[in-house]
This record gives sequence, C-alpha cells and structure tokens, in this order.
Amino acid sequence: MTKRQVRARMRRMREHFEEAEEETVEINLVPYMDIVTNIIIFLLASVVNQVPLGTVNVSSPTFGAGGGGDGAQEKPALNLTVTVGGTGFTLAGSGGVMPPIPRLPTGDYDYNALTAKLTEIKKEFSEETKATFNADAVTPYDTVVKTLDAMRYYKDEKEQREKELFPDVVFAAGIL
Amino acid sequence: MATDRTVSPEVAARLAGKKAIRSYARKLADPEDIKDLNITPMMDMMTIILVFLLKSFTSSATLVNMDNNLSLPPSLTRLAPKQAVPVTITKRVLLVEGEAVASINNGRIDPQLKRDGDNGYYISPLVEMLSKVARREKKIAEVTGQKFDGELTIIADKNTPYRLLTEILYSCGQAEYANYRLLVLKSRE
Repeated sequence: MTKRQVRARMRRMREHFEEAEEETVEINLVPYMDIVTNIIIFLLASVVNQVPLGTVNVSSPTFGAGGGGDGAQEKPALNLTVTVGGTGFTLAGSGGVMPPIPRLPTGDYDYNALTAKLTEIKKEFSEETKATFNADAVTPYDTVVKTLDAMRYYKDEKEQREKELFPDVVFAAGIL
Repeated sequence: MATDRTVSPEVAARLAGKKAIRSYARKLADPEDIKDLNITPMMDMMTIILVFLLKSFTSSATLVNMDNNLSLPPSLTRLAPKQAVPVTITKRVLLVEGEAVASINNGRIDPQLKRDGDNGYYISPLVEMLSKVARREKKIAEVTGQKFDGELTIIADKNTPYRLLTEILYSCGQAEYANYRLLVLKSRE
C-alpha cells in the first residue's frame, strides 16, 4: 500500500465521517433549559417561603331528635359549654356551673388551667367529644382560637403524646 | 528453534499503511476533545423536578396574602387546610372567594347591609353571595356524584371580634354552610 493509497483511504474515511455527522440534526436544548431552570428556581423559592397553615374545624349548632334508647341506663349527656368572658372562663354542663377560671395577673387567659379542668371532666366522661363554645361579643378571634386549642387536645406528660379532649366544637347559637 | 522471518518491503509497506488507517479510524471515532455535552439526561431530571414542584405548588389548598389588615392567629392544630370556599374577614372588608361583599368599620358591618338592623345577625349581601356559590357547588357535586358538604374556610384577622365572627357564621349557616375550617398559622408553642 503506497502512501498515496493510504492518504486516499483516509480522505474517504474523513468525508464519510463528516457526512454522517452532518446528517444527524440535534435540537438546541439550551433555551429550553434556561426556561426550566428559571421556573424551578422560582418554584423552589415560593415553596420554601410558604407559611405553614393549618385549620381548626368547628360547626354551627344542629338540633337532632333525642335518642330513643333506654335512657335510664345511659350516662346523662354532658352538654359542656365553655364561655369566654371578660373575667375569665366559665364552664357549665348538665350538672351545673363550675367555679370560673379567672384571668392570670398578667391579664392573659389561663389556658393551662382550662385544659387541666377539662382533663378532669374528660376522665369522668371519656366517651364525650362534643363541647359548645361561647364568648363575649368583644372577644378577639385570637383568644377564640387559643381557647379552642385548649379545649381540643392536651399533652399527656406520662405518655408524652397528645390526647383528645373535646375536639368536636360547636359554636353556640347566640353570644353573651 | 528460531526462525528467520524476513518481510518483503511491499508487505511491510502494506502493514504500515493498514496500521495508519486503523489508528486514523480510531481517532475519528473517539475524538479527544468533547465538542458537545449531552444534556438530555439533565433535561429529563429537570422536567421531572418541574412537574413535581408545579404539582406541590398547585395542591397547596389555600394561599393567603397576609398584610396589616389580615394576620392569622397562631394555633397548635395539625390539620392541614383543605379545598373549600374561602370567606375572608380582614380589618376593612369581608370577601367571599376574593370578591368584596361588605365593608367593615371598627369590627362592625354597616347596619344597612343587615336585614334586621344594627343588632341583627343576617348579613344580606353575604347570604346572597354564598347562596349563589352553594347553588354552583351543588350543581358540581351533582355532576361529579359527590355530596355537598357545606364547608367553608374562614380566613379571619386575629383581632376580629367574636360578635362579627358570629354574625358571619350565622349568615353562612343561612346559605347552607354549617361546617367551618378556621384557617390558622401552625405554631409549636
């Protein structure tokens, strides 16, 4: 094989390779990548900045017919009502009105005392989950939500977990 | 036993030529310089991330713009928000699905907008608006074969007085909405 033959063969190979390269058309993905990267950064930023939101479920009062069972053997209904007044919390049930829970010297409502009192009641009426909520006309929504928190769950120190108190809260039909 | 292998000049030239062609072919097939980076796998990955992020972004049920007129109260609740008709109570205005229904002044609705005057609970424009929404929701529920659950998301400012809240909830009840989800900020303490 002479040098000329080798050079000719190499030239043919190069031409063939270049033709093959020209035939494959590649889509230019760079602009698409730019867009996608921008969107991802924007979405990531908005996900990170999202405020953690939750909900507290309440319902308006409903009136149902009384149970038709053997009422004498059942435990009397609790009909627990928690009222937020200007001086503090008032708890009432079928048995009567309990001593009020006054405000703390700082002026704040004593949510811990309310939870403690409701925990005592829950021990007596472990099946009961309903409670009615009522408040003064001027009670701010913030206080309403905090009271609902105190009414719904408590933290069991022994078992280190939250337990239900009265999670089915119904707003009273009227206000004070 | 050693053999004396003598190669003729012609054969040697042919072998040398073939060797040169082979090495040239290898060079063409595997260029040392990388001309184009293959970004297709990266594009695949990014598209998947984009779809995932878009989905998580749209599935967050409620987006609230908090400002001076609307700051949510903190709560220990762990319940996540669900899709429901939003009723927003700011310091200045009452909105249903982002549309202003009545103005609020010092925590009170204009008595003229109430059916029974200043002491009344029935806020006429709110009931009208929610009745329309309820009709629409019922139609959707009918078509999709679901049950109309009458749920509202209440997004209220933390200083809203209980009286106003009760008036609004009463009016919502008149439009067949009896279950409320109070939107709050999740807090640990």
